[in-house]
Amino acid sequence: MTAADLSSEKQRLSGGKPGYRLRWSALSGLLTALLLPVSGFLVWQILVSSGFASGRLVPPPSRILSALWQLQQTGELSHHLVATCLRVLSGFAAGAVAGIILGGVTGYFRPARRLLDPTLQALRAIPSIAWVPLFILWFGIFETSKVTLIAVGVFFPVYLGVSASLVSVDRKIVEVGRIFRLSGFEMVRRILFPAILPALVVSLRTGLGLGWMFVVAAEFMGASEGLGYLLVDGQQLGKPDQIVAAILVFAILGKLSDGLLVLLTAPLTAWQDNYQKERK
Amino acid sequence: MLSLLSLAKTYPSGVEALSNFDLEIRPGEIVAVIGGSGCGKSTLLRVISGLEPATLGQVRIHGEEVTAPHPLINLIFQEPRLLPWLTVEQNISFGIRHLDAREQGRRVRGVLQQVQLQGYETRLPKELSGGQAQRVAIARALVTQPEVLLLDEPFSALDAMTRGSLQRHLLHIWRETAATIVIVTHDIEEAAALAHRVVVMRPSPGTMLEEITIDLPLPRNELEADLDPFKKRIRTALHRSLAYADGTDLMLV
Repeated sequence: MTAADLSSEKQRLSGGKPGYRLRWSALSGLLTALLLPVSGFLVWQILVSSGFASGRLVPPPSRILSALWQLQQTGELSHHLVATCLRVLSGFAAGAVAGIILGGVTGYFRPARRLLDPTLQALRAIPSIAWVPLFILWFGIFETSKVTLIAVGVFFPVYLGVSASLVSVDRKIVEVGRIFRLSGFEMVRRILFPAILPALVVSLRTGLGLGWMFVVAAEFMGASEGLGYLLVDGQQLGKPDQIVAAILVFAILGKLSDGLLVLLTAPLTAWQDNYQKERK
Repeated sequence: MLSLLSLAKTYPSGVEALSNFDLEIRPGEIVAVIGGSGCGKSTLLRVISGLEPATLGQVRIHGEEVTAPHPLINLIFQEPRLLPWLTVEQNISFGIRHLDAREQGRRVRGVLQQVQLQGYETRLPKELSGGQAQRVAIARALVTQPEVLLLDEPFSALDAMTRGSLQRHLLHIWRETAATIVIVTHDIEEAAALAHRVVVMRPSPGTMLEEITIDLPLPRNELEADLDPFKKRIRTALHRSLAYADGTDLMLV
């Protein structure tokens, strides 16, 4: 057997060229992820089209797509979508920054943890919807109250993730920093922060997910624009296709934003050694 | 000169890990500390390294008291403790961040050669074997050019072949750097093959039981017959040490 034969045999056994394998892996992942929702839509469409279901309260995919198309044609969809995205983005940024800072302070400084953590944990237990009347009284019914509510929703998982992961950083790697006489700031920058990055990414993803949930509650607070407004409008005018269309857009936006966050943070956690990577 | 003067360490839990421990270690000397589990060997290294404060007594290097990690002393742990997000090169240069990039590169290349890991610079710790990872840990300590190198059972988790290879590496490094080495081990063969002096500890509380000087030139072959009387003395002392741990009367051993 020549070297070329050996190389092609190796390639065959490993499943082909690496680039091809990656593309196939991505495509098969996408197809697998779409299998359940697409099958569900198809079944529902067939049931409604064949007269087994009325589709009055749960409209079939064709009517949802039609509603989306009409909303897009009038420019309403883009308008509401941008309004919602801006609110989530602002609330997420504010909540995440506050969560990282306060989580960092309570995770790193024990006296700060003793002072702040019990109060923050008590506040975390309050149903977030309970803040709505207070925020309206404090900030009015416009953007500030909505963004604040989203920020509160994002804050707690990020705070908890950062604080808890800092407390549980392996003593052994902290001792490496101590042996090399790192200052407090260097210890945070060179050891603690990289060590908690995987947990931080997970808590940011959780926070972002909650951001999308809270924007609906926020947009129920007398909003005149946003996907939440479309939901209220659809309910008041008896347009279930508009309601489901808005829900579908929320699902797509939530998935896309989560995917984007994972993609942006992937290089920061590529060093992790886990069994899933080995199975790829 | 590294001096340990009446060292004692009692943990907040009340456990008396070290008591009244005195030792003078000459520059360039290799001292092996041996004893059963829980006799304070690791605590001794942690106190010397400045990771743990002594409850009583002092650690002195060139007359200066060591109360916190010291630039002239470095500790190699039982596990490599490499930072998993850094490459081999970045892990090694971790302790010399204050130097300019050129000097860092020069030193890293030098120690990589000493531990024979050239070509591994860009690998992550997860891509290394246990022996390679421990060599990187040794390189990370060496790159700071410490006068005193403390090793806490550094080869105990490795197979016999890798252990032998790393022991030879350590002696090679010692010849090149003339560092003072204090190595904690539970392996009689290792202690006899590597050390100028073997300190046998006894537990409850951890203190020195016996000091055995091995006046044979380095490097030594673990199997050479000249080492046998020293190994026998170490083994006998260890039996006495273990008798303390068991609570057995010393005279019965």
